Amino acid sequence: MAIVVKLDDLLHARRMTLTDLSDRIGITLANLSILKTGKAKAMRFSTLEAICTELECQPGDLLAFEADS
Amino acid sequence: MPKTHSTLLGVTRGLLWLMLALVAVLFLFVIGVGAALIVIWPEIAAEAKNSQVFLDADAMRPQLFALLGFFAAVLAAALYILRKLQALVASAAGDPFIPANADRLRHIGWALVAVQLLALPLGSIARGIAVPTSQFADMGGINLNGILSILLAFVLAAVFEKGAAMRADLEGTV
Repeated sequence: MAIVVKLDDLLHARRMTLTDLSDRIGITLANLSILKTGKAKAMRFSTLEAICTELECQPGDLLAFEADS
Repeated sequence: MPKTHSTLLGVTRGLLWLMLALVAVLFLFVIGVGAALIVIWPEIAAEAKNSQVFLDADAMRPQLFALLGFFAAVLAAALYILRKLQALVASAAGDPFIPANADRLRHIGWALVAVQLLALPLGSIARGIAVPTSQFADMGGINLNGILSILLAFVLAAVFEKGAAMRADLEGTV
């Protein structure tokens, strides 16, 4: 998919695990794992808001567009 | 799942088993009639002549065999449809909006088309051997309910396909 989720990089920069994030924002580890591995087909604004709030970032820090080669 | 829905599903499950049993009985009936046509044909022909239902009772044995063959094929299609319906009902206990159910409904639709196609020669043979006013001559032929069932099955298949795609999207939403 052309949309890349950079959750792994953001977590790494903040020295936070996926489990920590899951506990803090109340989204299941399974769903966050789907997001992190790029298997998600869509993302709710509420999820985006929760992640951006917790990681103090902008949506653009989390998502990027990479044209399919 | 609401109680009424699970009760309805239970009743449907029971009815499907009942209909499968009926199809099995009809299969045995076809085999029995086929055997009778071979073994006691003179008696059957005499009885048919007395009934005044048939045009030429002595010469209709090949047509009766053909009728039995078509009828057996209709029963095979009915068996196939009932098994697919059983699988559909079984999946309804969980999540019915899966691509497999769209395929099942489409297969049911094609099986119903086959039944309608088989009913054409069945009706034509029946009209060929029985007097036009008899009930026997009304057998088979084009059936409006059958055509509606075919449409319904294909429309439902399209709905389930869309539903399955929407469910897959929803499951991929985080």
